[in-house]
Amino acid sequence: MDIINAHDLTVGYGGTEILRGLDFAVPEGRITAVVGVSGSGKSTLLKTLAGLLPPLSGGFDFAGRAVDYRSEASLRLLYGKIGVLYQGGALLNGLSLFENVALPIRMQHPKMPEDMVRDMVFASLAQVELAGSADKYPAQLSGGMTKRGALARALVLDPDVVFCDEPSSGLDPITSALLDDLLIRLKETFRMTIVVVTHELRSIERVADKVLLINDGGLLFSGDYADLAAADDAFIRTFFLRKDSHDDT
Amino acid sequence: MSEITVTPHPPETIVMPKRLRAAEVVAVINDIRRRVEAGPLVLDFREVEEFDSSTLALLHYLRGHEASLAAVNIGGALARAEESFVRAPRTEALKSRPSDGRVVRTLTAFADRFIRQVRSLGRFLAMFGDEVYHLGVYLKERRGVYPGETWNQLFFMGYRSFPIVCLLIFLVGVTISITSAEQLRLFGADIYLADLVGIAMLRELVPLMTGVILAGKVGAAVTAELASMTVLEEVDALRTMGVVPEKFLMVPRLLAITLVVPLLVAMADVVGIFGGIVVAQAKFGTPPSAFITEMLTAVDWTDFGWGLVKTVVFGWAVVVGAGFKGLTVGRSAEEVGRATTESVVLSITLIILIDCLFSFILY
Repeated sequence: MDIINAHDLTVGYGGTEILRGLDFAVPEGRITAVVGVSGSGKSTLLKTLAGLLPPLSGGFDFAGRAVDYRSEASLRLLYGKIGVLYQGGALLNGLSLFENVALPIRMQHPKMPEDMVRDMVFASLAQVELAGSADKYPAQLSGGMTKRGALARALVLDPDVVFCDEPSSGLDPITSALLDDLLIRLKETFRMTIVVVTHELRSIERVADKVLLINDGGLLFSGDYADLAAADDAFIRTFFLRKDSHDDT
Repeated sequence: MSEITVTPHPPETIVMPKRLRAAEVVAVINDIRRRVEAGPLVLDFREVEEFDSSTLALLHYLRGHEASLAAVNIGGALARAEESFVRAPRTEALKSRPSDGRVVRTLTAFADRFIRQVRSLGRFLAMFGDEVYHLGVYLKERRGVYPGETWNQLFFMGYRSFPIVCLLIFLVGVTISITSAEQLRLFGADIYLADLVGIAMLRELVPLMTGVILAGKVGAAVTAELASMTVLEEVDALRTMGVVPEKFLMVPRLLAITLVVPLLVAMADVVGIFGGIVVAQAKFGTPPSAFITEMLTAVDWTDFGWGLVKTVVFGWAVVVGAGFKGLTVGRSAEEVGRATTESVVLSITLIILIDCLFSFILY
């Protein structure tokens, strides 16, 4: 079953189209990688799917309901079902890691007892192996810890879909691989739907069940990662299979 | 190896050195210019092993002067570099812009700027309205704001601003008293210095100076903080957590400025008048009790009250202006600095504009 269905979706800024007429689906309980070269519009697409940037035309359904950007209630419903891991983590610098992870709970459920908030926060931090760093502030965390802390915050209210914007960016290969393992574990353990925006081939190869390849303002490929090998397109072969025209000849 | 042109006459050949970088390129190009006048040349680059971007620039230059050359022979790595960087087709040709007249361009730019400013003003007023709404909702429901944040802001805006406000207002009190004292002495109206200082401080100088200090200290800090949060996607993160950033970030600051301004104004009034008392005592030997008794014949609680109301409005203008600039910043780090500067200018402009309106209403 698909949890996100986009129909003729056009996104961009200030009337300038970046991606045009996209039709795609994100399957539930799987990891979908949105892939493309730098500046192709991957993060812009993620912003639209996360309810931050209204589409220029077209739209998308989330869990069977059309997302209406003009309706605050519709957006609130969407925000209640998603978690987002931003490229730089986007932890609030004035709050400790514990307070950062507790923030969504306190804002969504202000009357929840404090000991319950504490249990939820530590459960989420334990998933990302950061329970011992709860009292630290973002400035005291390494890049990898910041990303994992931000992931804990994105997971704390058990969202239906987690969007990850370039989770590997700025991380060394080992930390990046650990983060990939974490995403795979979340998918396998909780049947979580994860949408990863990336251009890291190694990461795509490890985590992606499905790939949405964006190029030249449109969707070039949408399908299982395994099907990429059979793809005939020159750009796909260059991008994924690292074969250029010299190799073909 | 690639060749460009071949002429039928046996031409002179220049063999390029193994190392052909910027220093050598300058010598070579002068040599070519000199010798090409004698007849077509063959330039042989095949022995070049060391080259840089100036070598490629030389090749590009030669491509533009092919007519006066017999041949350009290139081989090896340099040929591949030329293929990639010199001969590669431009993906986007530069299109010449339609050449409007200077008057039309100036008018268009002015109109664009005017429309942008009007839109910006509209967004600012909309945000002002939204903030009043958010504050009202918060006071009713007590949710949507991080617990304890208002206290943090009170500490920053009040405790941290208190010394600088007091120091500057005291100095303003002293300055206005010294300036006025000389004029009043001419008319033998020394004692009326108390009236002048009292009225000036309570009605005008304390509200205005406090507002300007808040714009510089609080407004700039609020803009820098919120703009950094916007650039670092923290504001987006709040939104996708179901938090309304305009409420979460702004309501504590508005509450804090509303609570802290009366205390600041009260202290600033006392300190400013104290500056006047010090000057009156020093210049005319007026005892403090006489100064205060005379001052109280000229001012009453309404002067203090209006001064307070004005400063609260200034404080709101500073915080909303700062929040507006911080939350509407672009996505680059350099815009944080620009937004902070604009925020201070906007706040001071708003303060003076509002002060002018109050003057029309009150006097």
